[in-house]
Amino acid sequence: MLIDVNAWLGTWPFRSLRDNTPDTLVARLDRSGIDKAVVSYIEAAFHRHPQSANERLARDVEPHGDRLIPVGTINPLSPHWEDDLTSCIDRGMKGIRLFPQYHNFQTDGTESRSVVQACAQCNLPVFIPHRLEDTRQHHWMDPGQSVDLAQIANLIAAVPDAAIIIPNARPLARSPLWMREDLRDLNWYFDLSLAEIHYGLHKSTNAMKDLGYLIEEGGANHILFGTHLPFSYAGPALVKLAILPVDEETLEDIKYRTAAKLLSL
Amino acid sequence: MTLDIESGIRRPKIDMHCHVWLMDGWEQSADHLVASGDMLGITEYWCSSVIQQGILAPFEDVPPHNDTILSAMARHPKRIRGWCFLIPGHFQDAIDEAERCLDAGMIGIKLYNQYRIDDPVLHPILELASERRVPILQHAGYPVPEHRASQPLISHGIHFSEASEKYPDAILIHAHIGGGGDWEHTVREMRQASPNVYIDVSGSNLDDGQVEYAVSELGVERVLFGTDGTMAGSVGKVLDADLTEDEREHIFWTNAERILAQQGATPTELRIGN
Repeated sequence: MLIDVNAWLGTWPFRSLRDNTPDTLVARLDRSGIDKAVVSYIEAAFHRHPQSANERLARDVEPHGDRLIPVGTINPLSPHWEDDLTSCIDRGMKGIRLFPQYHNFQTDGTESRSVVQACAQCNLPVFIPHRLEDTRQHHWMDPGQSVDLAQIANLIAAVPDAAIIIPNARPLARSPLWMREDLRDLNWYFDLSLAEIHYGLHKSTNAMKDLGYLIEEGGANHILFGTHLPFSYAGPALVKLAILPVDEETLEDIKYRTAAKLLSL
Repeated sequence: MTLDIESGIRRPKIDMHCHVWLMDGWEQSADHLVASGDMLGITEYWCSSVIQQGILAPFEDVPPHNDTILSAMARHPKRIRGWCFLIPGHFQDAIDEAERCLDAGMIGIKLYNQYRIDDPVLHPILELASERRVPILQHAGYPVPEHRASQPLISHGIHFSEASEKYPDAILIHAHIGGGGDWEHTVREMRQASPNVYIDVSGSNLDDGQVEYAVSELGVERVLFGTDGTMAGSVGKVLDADLTEDEREHIFWTNAERILAQQGATPTELRIGN
């Protein structure tokens, strides 16, 4: 079993994506040997009030209910977002996604904490993508910002009961999140999509292997499998999974067990 | 058909874009690089140590970088080959340094972002490279303005096209399609470039479709496998690209082998199955 916690449907305004419909994404998952994938509509990041995108997501994934796991999007600045959250739960969403850099709120601010607290009470994990696209190529109409991992650390500290997943993050082992030793026993996760395991472009032996150090320093239980399909190739995450320096039990956790638990599957 | 990651990892690869840095602990770094390659089927690395950020350092600062690479080559003769880093504005000193490094066994010239590849100051280097049939690997890309500000003289596709118009026989390699920036832009700019202009797949940007785009625009014989430190990412993007196995083989091996052949060299290890 392999669960991808980082996949998408829909349109990215600045570059054509392939395999971005439910049918084609499922075909891509088949080709990649991935059993299930967490998906949201990309458009929700750009909508001031994303609930209509959530409703469309629920409808569109229904024929693929055994493969695609819908995760709704909440904009904490949208009036009555609490109703959207309730609707997402009623429609079978297994998590909630936040986009601080697109909906323009502070990652560790009051609005954000309110949503995360509400999700924690409902046992829903919160996904905060570190970035959607490489900021070095961002279109002038795109904010082109990554989420500050120090602010995510503050958010985790403020809502310690929450489960927070930060897909598409890099760097990990020397990040302000992992450096917060007081947070290491809490429920937060990176994925395999972007960070390298064994060797990186660093002029320091101390920063040579990003995921590798995270694992050596006891962080393997903070790792999930994620690809960032269809923005990114699935191959990089699959290669990392194949060479990950962890034992069999930990590997099964990374492949699906932890994700299944978080998503109440 | 399902991706066969396990056998894809095992297939032999030449990583023509990587680094061993001039720093304390370079030996450990080089050893680690080789060990990482063992896990990914990378049989040899073409490495450089460069002065970054466009710094026009004095010539005396350059040879220590190349000496580090020569030492890494001596430490891992079957696994590490060298690019000779130059700052073209050092004129005759740069040419002499290139001759020293190539005579010592390096296989090409590495340029960073001190000058664009079409700057006339490079002409003596392009002539030397053409004469000795060695490739030039140039740091390149088309980042957005705020990222370009720190490297105003970074080359992109159009500069390779213009340099190749003047020196069509020179083997020029646009570094890292995934190095950050509008990769579609820089690749499109090279449509009209000489067949001796290549691009490598390295870099931390893993955008889906990137490798296929380079192949469709330039032809599979002009796309090379490199990592620039994004090891699993670069292997994974080529394995996942919608290509035939023959096309993948060109990228992982054959194209680099052909570049070596032009200077009378061969891969350090025979490809399994050859």
